[in-house]
Amino acid sequence: MNMFGRTAIAGACAAAFALASATLVAQGRGQAAAAPPAEPLSALAPENLSKPRPKAPFDLTGNWFVDTSSGPDAWRFGPPYPKLTPKAQKEYDTGMKLLKEGKVYKDDIGQCWPAGLPLIMTRYWPTAMIQVPTAVYMVSEFMNSFRTIFLDGRAHTDADVVVRTPNGESVGHWEGDAMVVDTRYFRGDHHWMDQGGASIPAGEQLRIVERIRLLPGGKQLEIAYTMTDPENWEGEWKSTKRFNRVNDIDIHEVECLPDLNDHLKSTRSKTQVQ
Amino acid sequence: MKRLLIASTLVVMFIAPVFAHHSPAAFEASKSITLTGTVKEFRWQNPHTWIEVNVPNEKGEQVLWAFELTSPTYLVRAGWKSNTLKPGDKVTISGRPLKSGEPGSAIFTSVTLADGRTLGERPARLGGEAK
Repeated sequence: MNMFGRTAIAGACAAAFALASATLVAQGRGQAAAAPPAEPLSALAPENLSKPRPKAPFDLTGNWFVDTSSGPDAWRFGPPYPKLTPKAQKEYDTGMKLLKEGKVYKDDIGQCWPAGLPLIMTRYWPTAMIQVPTAVYMVSEFMNSFRTIFLDGRAHTDADVVVRTPNGESVGHWEGDAMVVDTRYFRGDHHWMDQGGASIPAGEQLRIVERIRLLPGGKQLEIAYTMTDPENWEGEWKSTKRFNRVNDIDIHEVECLPDLNDHLKSTRSKTQVQ
Repeated sequence: MKRLLIASTLVVMFIAPVFAHHSPAAFEASKSITLTGTVKEFRWQNPHTWIEVNVPNEKGEQVLWAFELTSPTYLVRAGWKSNTLKPGDKVTISGRPLKSGEPGSAIFTSVTLADGRTLGERPARLGGEAK
């Protein structure tokens, strides 16, 4: 074979190799694009639960009841309140004016709307907590409101995908002896930061960061709240609550049924203002 | 005829347990009302129980009052059972009345049964009134 022939064969081989390579790459890309994204492991998947992780500083598993030793207002997150936006101030002023008149303004919780965070944590009801390496599952006895704190390293769900809820989406991680939880994606309607006159709304932009610590002895839980919602108040709204472990109470099914308020004059009389 | 007794007190009352569900805004925390009447119905349910009591007013007319109580979870720890009250039982019952002065609704604080027992709502460690 002469030089021309060898060159021609080599060129043909090179061209064939290049074509084949390009096809394989294209096929590879095509396959990658067509393949569904890998499903993330659920918090209760055995492969997720068994991943190596540092030992958790504490275990919240138990039933917890807000500490009322400081007085009957221990469940509230104010006063004091942060500086409210004009929109929220209007709601607050309306609620306080009606309070003085003995009327109830937008008592959504009393009308069976979920309390939502943060109030659901401080109802006068116990909250059951079950902690696993990847999450803390919470059920408040009040309305059986459900909440999960994911601890498996996941990020918050894409804002375009998440379903907004009264308790939002909670993602936590460990910082020293504290569990730090970031909760976002609230519904933004029928959701209040207080009850009984101080009608401060909670909007879609509400974000709650909780710093949770188990106090020495394991019988008290402390949660330091930092809450922001630029639609309704300026800056950070801070409050710290304590919860006592209750070992002689189980939680039960508690649902707000349509006939609940029928017999109560206070919930259907002219004292209600919507 | 049973007498209607309305007693106002100056002490600040503790009504937090009931507004675990409903707003307390309509109720007068600084007043207490005590009524004697006949139980019409006692509903043992979550998230809170209620008692309906027929109470004669000063004209001798029967006025139906509904008292809101807390959950059975706590009532059982204060000595209650689902059959503690039955229709027809005579009771003396106390609570916080509506600020409006409108009769017929109050937040429960205690009841004295026909057998002389007096029952409250819940122990202090679970949000009840500190003793």
